[in-house]
Amino acid sequence: MTERADSDAGSSTAPRAMRGLALAWLLVVALLLGHNAYLWLVQRVSPDTDILALLPSSRHDDAMQQAFAHMVDSAQQKVVVLVGERDWGKAVQAASAYEALIGKQPSLLQAMTGDAAQLQGAWLSTFDQSRLMLLTQEQRDKLRNDSPQQWSQLALSAMYGMFGSGGPKLGAWQDDPFGLFGGWVQARAQETPVRPRDGRLFVESGGRSYVLLLMNLQPSAFSISAQEQVIPLLDQATQAAKQSVPDAEVLTAGVILHAAAGSRQAGSEMATIGAGSLIGIVLLMWLTFRSLKPIALIALSIAIGCLGALSVSWLLFGRLHLLTLVFGASLVGIAQDYAIYFLCARLGANRHMDSRQLLHRLLPGLGLMLLAAVIGYLGMALTPFPGLRQMAVFSVLGLLFAWLTVILWFPALIHADSLRSTALADRYSRGIVKWPQFRFNRIGFVLLAAFTVFVVAGLTRLKVSDDIRALQKTPQHLLDDQIKLGKLLDTPTPAQFYLVRGESAEIVLQREEQLKRQLQTAIDKKLISGVQAVSNWVPSQQQQHADHDLIVDKLLAPQGALAAIATAIDENGQWQQDLRQRLLAQSKPLLPDAFVASPAGQPWRHLWLGKTGDRYASIVAVRGLSDYRQLQVLADVAPKIDGVQWVDKVADISSVLSYYRQYMTWALLAAYATIFVLLSLRYRRAAWRAIAPPLLATLATLALFGATGQPLQLFHVLACLLLLGLGVDYGIFLQEPAERHRRFAWLTVGLSAISALLSFGLLALSSSPPLHAFGLTMLIGMALVWLASPCFAGLQPYSHDAS
Amino acid sequence: MILSFRIFHTILGALAVTAAFCATADAAAPVAQIQAALAKPAIMCGRFDQTKQLTGIKKPLLSNGRFCVAAGKGVLWQTLQPFPNTLRITRNAIVQMQNGRVAMRLDAQQEPVVKMINNVLFSLLAGDLSQLDKLFELDGTIKNGNWHVALKAREPGLAKAIGDIQLDGGAYVNKVTMQEASGDHTDIVFSGIQTGDKAMTPEEGAMFD
Repeated sequence: MTERADSDAGSSTAPRAMRGLALAWLLVVALLLGHNAYLWLVQRVSPDTDILALLPSSRHDDAMQQAFAHMVDSAQQKVVVLVGERDWGKAVQAASAYEALIGKQPSLLQAMTGDAAQLQGAWLSTFDQSRLMLLTQEQRDKLRNDSPQQWSQLALSAMYGMFGSGGPKLGAWQDDPFGLFGGWVQARAQETPVRPRDGRLFVESGGRSYVLLLMNLQPSAFSISAQEQVIPLLDQATQAAKQSVPDAEVLTAGVILHAAAGSRQAGSEMATIGAGSLIGIVLLMWLTFRSLKPIALIALSIAIGCLGALSVSWLLFGRLHLLTLVFGASLVGIAQDYAIYFLCARLGANRHMDSRQLLHRLLPGLGLMLLAAVIGYLGMALTPFPGLRQMAVFSVLGLLFAWLTVILWFPALIHADSLRSTALADRYSRGIVKWPQFRFNRIGFVLLAAFTVFVVAGLTRLKVSDDIRALQKTPQHLLDDQIKLGKLLDTPTPAQFYLVRGESAEIVLQREEQLKRQLQTAIDKKLISGVQAVSNWVPSQQQQHADHDLIVDKLLAPQGALAAIATAIDENGQWQQDLRQRLLAQSKPLLPDAFVASPAGQPWRHLWLGKTGDRYASIVAVRGLSDYRQLQVLADVAPKIDGVQWVDKVADISSVLSYYRQYMTWALLAAYATIFVLLSLRYRRAAWRAIAPPLLATLATLALFGATGQPLQLFHVLACLLLLGLGVDYGIFLQEPAERHRRFAWLTVGLSAISALLSFGLLALSSSPPLHAFGLTMLIGMALVWLASPCFAGLQPYSHDAS
Repeated sequence: MILSFRIFHTILGALAVTAAFCATADAAAPVAQIQAALAKPAIMCGRFDQTKQLTGIKKPLLSNGRFCVAAGKGVLWQTLQPFPNTLRITRNAIVQMQNGRVAMRLDAQQEPVVKMINNVLFSLLAGDLSQLDKLFELDGTIKNGNWHVALKAREPGLAKAIGDIQLDGGAYVNKVTMQEASGDHTDIVFSGIQTGDKAMTPEEGAMFD
């Protein structure tokens, strides 16, 4: 590729240096390719997806993040299915048909089953030695208030009757003479409506019996290839169940369903919007240059920009967030301007002018464009938010690499005869001559006043929205299934919970107990149906010992209830002593670590974070929340107890989005100010002409959103930043002295603007709310920048000598 | 979830006894004959005498009382001697009363197993024995209208929880024997069985309402 360049270059030293630099750049690009291949193919790095990682580290909380990970991981790889029918037998039949089909693909989904009998034995053995340490609140109250006579009566009637006194009998009478353990177990059972039945898990609701099927997803829920296999499999299984039992109802929930719906939507949009955008840009370039080479070159510069940004950012940060990649890559889109500028200038330049000479002439403008963008983005890097910093660095690097590609390679790749102007391009270019010009005369002021009124009216109506829920669009039937399933299974809310912390596991458990006492009001008012907490199963040592002492004092004392029983059934003091010893042997304190490690603790493992850093932490999850609008009631409980924090992930993510929107708005304003100063250095009093188009277009777009009631989101602000970057470039194109006529600068603006409209503006068609917001801003803003920029170009061609 | 297994099994153990008044199944020929031999009245009341032998207690615990089974309603189990105590199993709840106050209550809404027990119970009383057959292996003999059935839970977990159950009877169940794995042993003998609308006292009838 440098062969032609050589022949043109002659023997001067500058071209040789250029050639050396171009070759050096080739080496750099090869290194970038190699590093990227290593990162993605060998190391198989994956970008961060946790949106809370975007918070500044001071707000960033290890225990909190771990808590989320715990809650998310416990749910992410699960698929929960309920198969229901009026008749239990038929429900089982349908569930079997469902399972038979799933069972054919063990590499995708595996049923979570265990040997029931074995599990049951293991389950009880966890608590067997600690029977005397465990009481329900109701039992505690009864023990405090009722007399030993009442207890002995109750125990005796239980001995003679079929049921225990506090609940069903559990095991041998002599191991639980007062039915306390049976009652405690019964209370624990009521934390879930799910019951074993005929070797299956059973839920009953609304006259229907449901079989609960729990499945573990083997590949990641976010793997697209897994989604493509698993979703049809689940559909087939549902069909199989309905074929077997026509009236069967099948409810399915799982993260993978949402992920797949998202991917499917993104996939089909990518296919249509992406193809439309590509065809449009190819057509545009063909109509302008009668060649596809320009588009290949533009793509080359952007691709190298992205590769460079990825490699160096990764080396700098050691990690990248997904949001950085999405936003950064779109901001690197500004890099198209460098290539288009060069191409159009080549088209407009004299045939006898060498590409290197041309570059020399363009360098001030190109340099200014890069500088303006870099300075504009640096504002983002100064915010305390790691995500914004990453994005700024990523974008600046991307632009730099793309810019260097244009500077170092394009002169060698494009020659005077590489490109031919087409009639269409010519006709368009001449259009600028007749374009209306903004002047400070009466019409100009009237227009300005009208515009000001419109902007003020619009902006005052502009609302903001940072609600994460506005950003996702999940198919209604998935939500319906999930809500119904959540109600049937009485599952806790995954996004809202209490985080409890303390210096020791014991303190954490004590705080959980305090919290539960505070929450009793909410339970009594039926705001929530209860809580899931490790302390439900493993009370604090303090509580365990208090319960133990209460039982010993009230029931096992020499003149207590046990003595009364002995008299009633004609047993002696020795018998009483033996039974007392037998019961006292069940006083082994239960510890949280042992519990979560046991089969009984398995379903609650995600609630116990254990030691994180130098402290201990746990989660108290809320079941059966009846009214989401009253979340504040739950939040207000947390400050009453030391070390307890209410966590609302939905609100937290929304607040991340809110911070980012605010900081990005400030960064945008700062970028306008600094770019204006920079432009003033070169264009002096004409600098406003370069900055006016993006500024006015942005104001008009935002005012339009205000007028139409569309709330401002982070994604709108991001698009505004891109508008600034592209708009300033157009100002520079039009202010820089173009070879021959200004019309080639106008062609540059046109090509860049249409490409931006095709690549970013078409995203307005997306049904994903963030993409739609971004695309719509770009669509309106870009069109306005494009149409407005020649109005501010100024009548007199800018004279370089003036500076 | 698993813990409720145990409760369920225990309750079901009790249920199996309660339900055993007319329990048989058509698994084998003798069982089919037993089923045919059983009268299936809508209401049935009578006296029970229970002997319980608990591990760790020398003397057997003797008690007696009245029981009623009403198809479509539930079961009433009133211990009269030595400690008055009433157990009522209906579609919506299992309630234990002692000295006029509720000593234990399991609501179907709270505890789904309650509804299940009732469903099983009612299908039993209606003569649909497929439910019992699902849970137990039935082994029966019949001679001159007197029969004997041994029930063994099909699931090991259930078998461990409730042990072996034996039923003896003729037109009605006469005797239930339960041998638990823990060593606790219970005999219940039924007598003075009455059927028809008048079998139940008005007080008993009121308890079902």
